Amino acid sequence: MRLSHSTQQQLLRIAAYVFLAVMAVLFMFPFYWLFVSAFKAKDQIFSLPPVLWPDPWRFSNFAAVFEKTHIVQAFINSVVIACGHCTLALFLCSLAGFAFAKYPHAPGRDKLFAFVLATMMIPGAVTLIPVFVVLCKLHAINTYWAMIVPGAASAFGIFWMRQYTMENVHNDLLDAARIDGCSEFRIYWSVVLPVLKPAMAALGIILLIGSWNNLMWAFIVLRTTDMYTLPLVIYLLNGENRTPFEMIMAASVLATLPLVIAFLFFQRQFIAGITAGAIKG
Amino acid sequence: MNDPLLKRIWRHRHFYAFISPFFVLFAVFGLYPLLFSLYLSFVQWDGLTPMQWVGLSNFRNMIHDEIFFTSLWNTLIIGLMYIPPMFIGAFLFAVLLNSSWLKLRGLFRAALFLPVVTPMVVVAIVFTLLYGQEAGFLNWLAGKLGMGPFPWLVSENWSKPSVSVLLVWRWTGYNMVLMLAGLQGISTEYYEAARIDGANALQRMWYITLPLMRPVFVFCSIMSLIGTVYMFDEVFVLTQGGPGSSSTNFGLYLFNTSFTDFRFGYASCIAYTVAFFVFMASLLILRIRRSGTE
Amino acid sequence: MSRCSVIAALVIGLAVEACAGEPLLIPATLQPSEYRGDIQIWSWNIAAASLEKLIPPFQQRYPNVHVRIDMNATNLQSRFLLSLAARVGAPDISQLQVREAPRYSVTGKLTDLTEVAKKYEKAFAPSFWESCVYEGRIYALPWDIGPCAVFYKQGIFEQYGIDVGKIETWDDYIAVGKELVAKSDGRTKMLCVPTGNMADLFEIFLQQSGGQIFDVAGRIAINSPETLETLNLLKKLLESGISGNIMPFSFEYFASFKSDTIATYPMAAWFGGLIRDYAPDTGGNWGVFRLPAYHPGGLRTSNLGGSVLVMPDQCTQKEAAWAYMEYAMCTPEAQLAQYRDFDLFPALLSTHQDPFFDEPVPFFGNQRVRRLFSLDIDEISVMYRTTDWMEAMRYVQQALSKWADKKQETPAQLMRSLEEKLSRRLNRPIAPSTEKRAEGAVP
Repeated sequence: MRLSHSTQQQLLRIAAYVFLAVMAVLFMFPFYWLFVSAFKAKDQIFSLPPVLWPDPWRFSNFAAVFEKTHIVQAFINSVVIACGHCTLALFLCSLAGFAFAKYPHAPGRDKLFAFVLATMMIPGAVTLIPVFVVLCKLHAINTYWAMIVPGAASAFGIFWMRQYTMENVHNDLLDAARIDGCSEFRIYWSVVLPVLKPAMAALGIILLIGSWNNLMWAFIVLRTTDMYTLPLVIYLLNGENRTPFEMIMAASVLATLPLVIAFLFFQRQFIAGITAGAIKG
Repeated sequence: MNDPLLKRIWRHRHFYAFISPFFVLFAVFGLYPLLFSLYLSFVQWDGLTPMQWVGLSNFRNMIHDEIFFTSLWNTLIIGLMYIPPMFIGAFLFAVLLNSSWLKLRGLFRAALFLPVVTPMVVVAIVFTLLYGQEAGFLNWLAGKLGMGPFPWLVSENWSKPSVSVLLVWRWTGYNMVLMLAGLQGISTEYYEAARIDGANALQRMWYITLPLMRPVFVFCSIMSLIGTVYMFDEVFVLTQGGPGSSSTNFGLYLFNTSFTDFRFGYASCIAYTVAFFVFMASLLILRIRRSGTE
Repeated sequence: MSRCSVIAALVIGLAVEACAGEPLLIPATLQPSEYRGDIQIWSWNIAAASLEKLIPPFQQRYPNVHVRIDMNATNLQSRFLLSLAARVGAPDISQLQVREAPRYSVTGKLTDLTEVAKKYEKAFAPSFWESCVYEGRIYALPWDIGPCAVFYKQGIFEQYGIDVGKIETWDDYIAVGKELVAKSDGRTKMLCVPTGNMADLFEIFLQQSGGQIFDVAGRIAINSPETLETLNLLKKLLESGISGNIMPFSFEYFASFKSDTIATYPMAAWFGGLIRDYAPDTGGNWGVFRLPAYHPGGLRTSNLGGSVLVMPDQCTQKEAAWAYMEYAMCTPEAQLAQYRDFDLFPALLSTHQDPFFDEPVPFFGNQRVRRLFSLDIDEISVMYRTTDWMEAMRYVQQALSKWADKKQETPAQLMRSLEEKLSRRLNRPIAPSTEKRAEGAVP
């Protein structure tokens, strides 16, 4: 017996749902494990058979994290660094992106833009040591600046913003503003920026993820406990011989939640922004 | 004759003002470091004691550096292990999530993308627990199914697959979103036209979707290539490159050479060399892509 | 001046470093109460706990010096060197492995302690003192040393009726191990040989055999009959089926203190402190026997680990920091307290004659373990560490891991390839053969 076309399609769709559901469960499982481990007693984390559901739920792990580590300070540091980096980078990239998109007659514009694109090819790994040395000389090691500034002028961000500006900011809008006597910066600030919002949301989340989770650079430039960020605090707790796993798990939950929540909130804008800036070339 | 040019420049002074922050920052944190790093490739320096000019000796050492080549080999193997399943998975997810009939789209998308948002150090620690030899969840599960225990992180042969599993988990969502964006950029008119011509779903996929997705695939491949070579957090926390040097990729080796051994000169030398080859490989991928579209 | 040379000058100009600081001098007239400061110390594990416990008695002498211990060993070498290079973020005092000390002394970023510390030159074993000195200047104070023996779980051996007293050589040890594994149906392994991390065992065995990685002149001297003996022993242990594969100092490793998966641990004295710390309720079940010899009548001890204290140049309260260093390292009272509470075997020679060494230790079944550890210490050979020790050991560890996994090379082949690799990687010549090395040994 041959299945009718629509039954076939129905079956395929059910299969797709099952597949996606299984995958979603697989992908979420480490989160589940992280979450329940944060509420287990230390012995339960390593007990056999594994404890799938903590009993009782211990909130004392979180209390211990707050009491014994500088997690609050680290949280503040992470927020300052991630927000600072994000704001600075978004500002610089949108400003330069706007300039590259909307001043077609500026002498040398295309060459300069090609140069910006070329700098994308320089991997951070090559400049790791010299940037460290430069920051030493500027006495910027162990400051927020060392985390915020070096990556802020991102060529990728400029490219992204230019693309979006070219397609979504109309020249008549700019001309109208000029006739009204707006200064060029004013035009950028009041006319262009509002239009760029979706692109900024998408780029902002990408930058935020990178900055919030940055371990290597934090390890290199942040030198004292009061400057540590969340990933660094967790990493250093983890390497300790007496690894307090129940505390690490609790701290990990605290480090993970903000971005997860932010993503869930802005998911729609993020996807829309990525789609709008989709790679076109 | 300079006058009009200067005038034109002056007229566009805002343009230069707007792009100047980038160039200033690039000069300090890009160009100068690039030159400094090139210079460092020819010296011996630990960042503490005076530099010593050693000429080409760093490069000569590199040719005989077994661990350097092991790290490149590991990079290649790890890349081959995780990129294909990741791409296939990401594309499959993207196609499914792009179907108009799908319900709960936001939920599935979030579930698959959330690993990207999670701090790598957290991911690695959770996987350390899952991979535990005696008390890990996976070995317990394997035991229930009558298999194992598997030496996930303690055997030279297993460390690379174990890292790859983590990478697939971590990066599939990222590529999925990029591919999703690419799919949504394809005009529905093509599909309509194909349907009228009587093409079935597979044919539409083969003749329309895949060719038009090529730029996205190229972008994702280059990002993955660069990502694998310079990957750090993943192995730094999960395996520390071990056992032995079996999961040391280039990024970790470079970090160890730089900031564990403090061989700044030698580190710059290998960083430059590898960057050159990565650059060439990226060009090659772009070239293949171009020749494909012509 | 060409453009290139301008750039080069710029580049180098940024990299020029200030020279090392002045040696620390403390006027003899300074009274203990005049020492002031808040001292931060980096240390790890039981050593950190030990330093912490010394603070109250220290403050009775120096009431105006306050000490804070930062306990963290994660990637300490990187963090410490980064802080030295950046000239910010180093602690006032740091604990370091004795084997790493030469790496830091050469940087010129440690306080020169020569003037205040030279009076202690004869108070410590020469082999340890040597690690604290670079070009005649003193940059560190020795703390504890790591004489080795085998820790074992008495209960396990009683259960299977096996007598460890008959073990004299490594062959006896392996025979006992096979008996144990057979009687326990493979449940209990004799020891833990982590194939991915054999550096510690290698170091214990190598120093016991009298082998070296470097010679006095810093040349590569790993190609020797002693190394061969060491590798053969590792091979025998791996192939005998008596060893379990658990990463040392992982959570599973510490869990094994309480279970019956591993019966013995050939380790250094400080390891007893780890056991007491991680498995306090196993007290009385433990015993210690001397390290098995390679051959009947051979040396039955070795050394692993041991640490020093250093004072980075960034320290702004050097007098106060020195006061603590001196108290903790150079007074018998403090050194004995650290051994009693945390099993840190004193490097200070005068303490070894103390009757305290002959007291029975309840945790180890009332054995006189301290005396046992102190036997033949002066026969342990001096290891020539050089500035590249840590790096060299990493290559050794990687090569051993590969060797244990692939099982292709013979020990002799492995040794020769190691010799070549180390020479190339560390840019050091290969030492002439053993006979010549003994003659040509000029410091």
